[in-house]
Amino acid sequence: MSLKSLARSKAIHLMLVYTGGCNGCDIEIVNCVLSPKFDAEQYGVFLTWNPREADVLVVTGPVTKLNEEPLKKIYEAIPNPKLVIAAGSCALMGGVYKNIHGDIPSEEIAGPVENIIPVDAKVPGCAVRPQDILAGVVAALPNLLNAD
Amino acid sequence: MNEDEISNGKNIHNEDNVRNEEITHNENIIETEVALGTVHPAALEPYRLRLFVEDEIVKDAEITIGVNHRGVERIMEGLPVEKANALTEKICGICSNAHIWNSCLTAEKALGIDIPERANYIRIIMEELERLHSHFLYLGHGCEVLAHETFSMRAFSIRETVMELLRMIGGNRVQYGASIIGGVRPRCELDSNRIIKILEGMDIVEKKLNDFADRFVSDPIVMNRITGVGKISSKDALKLEVTGPTLRATGVKKDLRFKMKEYEPFDFNMITLSDGDVKDNILMRVLEIPEAISIIRQAVKNLPNGPIVDRSWEMIDSPTVHNYIEVPRGTLYHSYALEDGRVRGSVIRTPSMSNIGAMQLACIGNHLTDAQLCIVQCDPCFTCTDRAIEIIKL
Amino acid sequence: MITILSFKSILAILATLIIAFIISIFIPGIERKYIHGRIQQRIGPPLFSPGLMAPIKFFFKENLKPNSPLPKLYKSLPVISFIVIFLILLFIIPQFYIYGSLASVIAIVGLLKVEEIAYVLMGSLSKSVMSTGMSFPDKIKGAKHLNVKSSFIEDISSSRALRLIIFGSFPLYLALFVPVSTVGSVYLSDILSYQISHGPILFSVSGIIGAIVFFIGYMILLNEYPFAILKTKADVIEGPYMEYSSKYRAINYINRGFLIFVLGSLFSLMFLGYPSNIFSWKFIINVLVALIFPVLMAILSAFSPIFTNKQFYPVILVSSIFGVLAILLGLLI
Repeated sequence: MSLKSLARSKAIHLMLVYTGGCNGCDIEIVNCVLSPKFDAEQYGVFLTWNPREADVLVVTGPVTKLNEEPLKKIYEAIPNPKLVIAAGSCALMGGVYKNIHGDIPSEEIAGPVENIIPVDAKVPGCAVRPQDILAGVVAALPNLLNAD
Repeated sequence: MNEDEISNGKNIHNEDNVRNEEITHNENIIETEVALGTVHPAALEPYRLRLFVEDEIVKDAEITIGVNHRGVERIMEGLPVEKANALTEKICGICSNAHIWNSCLTAEKALGIDIPERANYIRIIMEELERLHSHFLYLGHGCEVLAHETFSMRAFSIRETVMELLRMIGGNRVQYGASIIGGVRPRCELDSNRIIKILEGMDIVEKKLNDFADRFVSDPIVMNRITGVGKISSKDALKLEVTGPTLRATGVKKDLRFKMKEYEPFDFNMITLSDGDVKDNILMRVLEIPEAISIIRQAVKNLPNGPIVDRSWEMIDSPTVHNYIEVPRGTLYHSYALEDGRVRGSVIRTPSMSNIGAMQLACIGNHLTDAQLCIVQCDPCFTCTDRAIEIIKL
Repeated sequence: MITILSFKSILAILATLIIAFIISIFIPGIERKYIHGRIQQRIGPPLFSPGLMAPIKFFFKENLKPNSPLPKLYKSLPVISFIVIFLILLFIIPQFYIYGSLASVIAIVGLLKVEEIAYVLMGSLSKSVMSTGMSFPDKIKGAKHLNVKSSFIEDISSSRALRLIIFGSFPLYLALFVPVSTVGSVYLSDILSYQISHGPILFSVSGIIGAIVFFIGYMILLNEYPFAILKTKADVIEGPYMEYSSKYRAINYINRGFLIFVLGSLFSLMFLGYPSNIFSWKFIINVLVALIFPVLMAILSAFSPIFTNKQFYPVILVSSIFGVLAILLGLLI
């Protein structure tokens, strides 16, 4: 493993963008970093809130119309190489809000995340479990490590 | 519904007119405006906060919601009532059980169903467990905004015990969907094994909470830091229709649980504090947790035997019915009519909706760093809130 | 008149710098894993991750143009502040004392001021996407105060840094002048020789007070919680550092560890009389002091919330008064 890949695998800065789901995934992911039980820092995953520092962008929620532009801007602000992980069924396919098939379809949802920014890994679940989000980051990691 | 359509998912606004008269003549002294959000570490949820500051003191604040607007009430229109109940659970990831519970209660009211007593007890256990996890989340998030990482970690680690219990009963950590029309899901039946685990969990939570509270209250730096920040007087709180623990922290005795027939078999106290600042709000949650634990213990101890679900109901048409319950953050309102087994004209009003005014008010006069703390002290949940709107006066 | 350093001195200076550099790499990891992790009852990150692996990783990232009115100046600031810290370390190495006027407390204070001014410039030049720059239709009909000028969160951070220059750094500078008042000379060589003959200044009344004041000033200069008002998460997210990416962010990471080491080393010289001289066994004590300081700082920061002005001013006021008291004691005794 080259020094570049080693350094990238030992310090991963993860940023969370929450685009209007139900809060469940969001709290589970913050939990996965903040609670001593899961403690993502032991794997070298650090939570950051600055796009310039981030390597991995975790997007939750179905991306409402108002959040489309901010999401794009944040994605553009992250320097390459970067990973995008869509977490939760809303981020994967618009979730229950887009697919409930009532009399009136929802008009507020611009998502899923794939329509707006390229996605590297998808973590299903409603809500995602903290273990799954760690597994998702690990699964997509080769893309990050082997990039230029 | 109509309000929803007018707003078209954009330009949703909340404006409390309480302080407006005082603010307008101060307009010339506002130095600058700082806009935080929609993605911000202290907020977690997406919303826009505009702070008008003068020498780093907040002179006025404006919370703009609408980023979370998914139109849940609109997409509920015409859904079969069971499906609509499941959808209400997805309104919020923190008080998910409260939403599905209230939605089921509304449906049961409309259809005239009496649920088995055991089902009611299990629903209460779920709701109080949810109250525990919501309050621990509040403590954890509040300490995080205070930048006290250690306390935040402690609160989140205690919360894990509760989350495990919820996962054990409901099968999922966040959306457990315990209630269905006529009772609770068979998955959520409490056998002796689970009861033992719940009681063990409650002992652990109580012990850890006592340690946490002792340390928190005896920490002079933290107490000095949060005392007197974000004060809301009881007069302002009543004027703004604040609900829930935030209202009780200002000294108003108002808890809907004492009027709900679901809570009749249980014996618990109403906690009120007097100052309405961040300190009292945090202590309020700390003091409410033992009450919730005591309700869970009573429910587990007196758990009646019998079926947990009554499926012998028939679907009938019903005019609009509504129901209020007390959830961790305040008063929750659900109302809809039933037509041909389908939901019509649904309206949901969540506690954070009425607390937004208090959040804006609490920011005023505090340091810029405390602004997010003042909002967090009212336990905001904008995912719940982003559905109903207020008509603004132009 | 320029005095030329001997070959041995140059070797000593280089060796000291390299060792300082290696130790400063460990410091963030020690703070995070062994102090914060232990207090918070979790495992914590790998030891090398925050201090070594993160900067290396940032070196290999794409360098985006910062969102700033003067990108080149903005990008040069971490380099300037690195050079400043480097110079401070250079001046406190005993082999360098032959340049009398540079190896004095005044020079060090001047250089630390440059470091603080860098924060002001960084803050005012950074225009991050995370606040006002984020597109959101909030200035619409019906919104409050439509004609107010809006500022970025970094502007707030910059004005805070300006205030810190005015009053925040008092404790550190006062503490630096405690040994000066005792010895009666601003030259580091005199302070060192006084302590060799009279014993460390730390073991006097003024020295103890001075050490405490130094520690508070040290935390304020390093912007560590609870004094991290420049870069608190609750409002300004990362403050001055918001827009740095790639190698400039790496330099910022290195700067912090390096500054921690240099200030610890400075304390060891000024209050204990053990300079960072590679040829003496006392260098170990110097390193130990540089490691004990961040450990103490991490313990304090793990147990305290962020201070606002309401708590900040009294702390600075009290520590400044103690600083003046220590100087007076040093002058009288």
